[in-house]
Amino acid sequence: MEKPVLIQIGDELPVWRKTFQPHDLVAYGAATWDWHRSHYDKDWAAQRGLEKPIIDGQMYGGVVAQAVMAWAGPRGFIEKLSLNYRSIAFAGDSLQLSGKVSAIENTAETFVFVLSHRLSKRDAVIAEAMTRVRVPSR
Amino acid sequence: MALLTDELKSWIGREVQYVAPEPLSTASIRYFASALRDDNPLYRDDEFARDSGHPSVIAPPTLVCETCQYVDGQANDDGYLGHEWDLPLTHCRLIRAGNDYEFLQPVLASDVITAKWTLESIDERSRSKGGTQLFVVSLAQYFNQDGTLLATNRETVVYQPIA
Repeated sequence: MEKPVLIQIGDELPVWRKTFQPHDLVAYGAATWDWHRSHYDKDWAAQRGLEKPIIDGQMYGGVVAQAVMAWAGPRGFIEKLSLNYRSIAFAGDSLQLSGKVSAIENTAETFVFVLSHRLSKRDAVIAEAMTRVRVPSR
Repeated sequence: MALLTDELKSWIGREVQYVAPEPLSTASIRYFASALRDDNPLYRDDEFARDSGHPSVIAPPTLVCETCQYVDGQANDDGYLGHEWDLPLTHCRLIRAGNDYEFLQPVLASDVITAKWTLESIDERSRSKGGTQLFVVSLAQYFNQDGTLLATNRETVVYQPIA
């Protein structure tokens, strides 16, 4: 985002598409020291009526932050990130993250953008999110 | 029968603290970014990070809020090592409902993190399918070795009775 002054309310962020395969869930679990069986053990999942291992909900926060930082640029700083989980996603699901600018608050030193996001798979909403990101104005 | 017993209410306000035994480290930052397939150079390239106004590489925002990495203990039978309140509830499924993160300053590889969890509230609410469920809200605060608050995470989980 080289010219934040051109951003307007209603502008859409680039759509992100992610498919987290089983090895991605293992990698995230290892990187966060979260070794819960729900994220990799097919038998554990099946015994609890789940079709596959489930994606860690906090991984969605990582994805939203990734998309926002890519949009805001290296001087961007995420001040807030709120996630509301709506349904479960499984290993191998293809997820799509959309976002748009819902508010802009300018000061002499910074632009502050409030962004709304939706993470979905096919027709199901997996999570809704809101971020507040600060970018220096000069 | 009410789910929210006096015994459960006594848990409100409880606190627990986890202190990382070492700095976060550039390896942990790079590992986390790699697991998300995030190639942002802020998380890998010191020179790039300095040119962007930071003293060194910084952590992806939500990494600091992953408390499992600070817990010095043994995983349970489900393989879980991290923070959880051992609430006196049986025959319930646990559902993560939301996370509200607030970030106050970038987290550095040299930061030694202390995570402080407080159980803020427990509310019993009706379910659309009948019966009730418990909403448990906790606040996690993440400090560095200087006592500077780096981030907070207000987490809501729901306990639903299994029929």
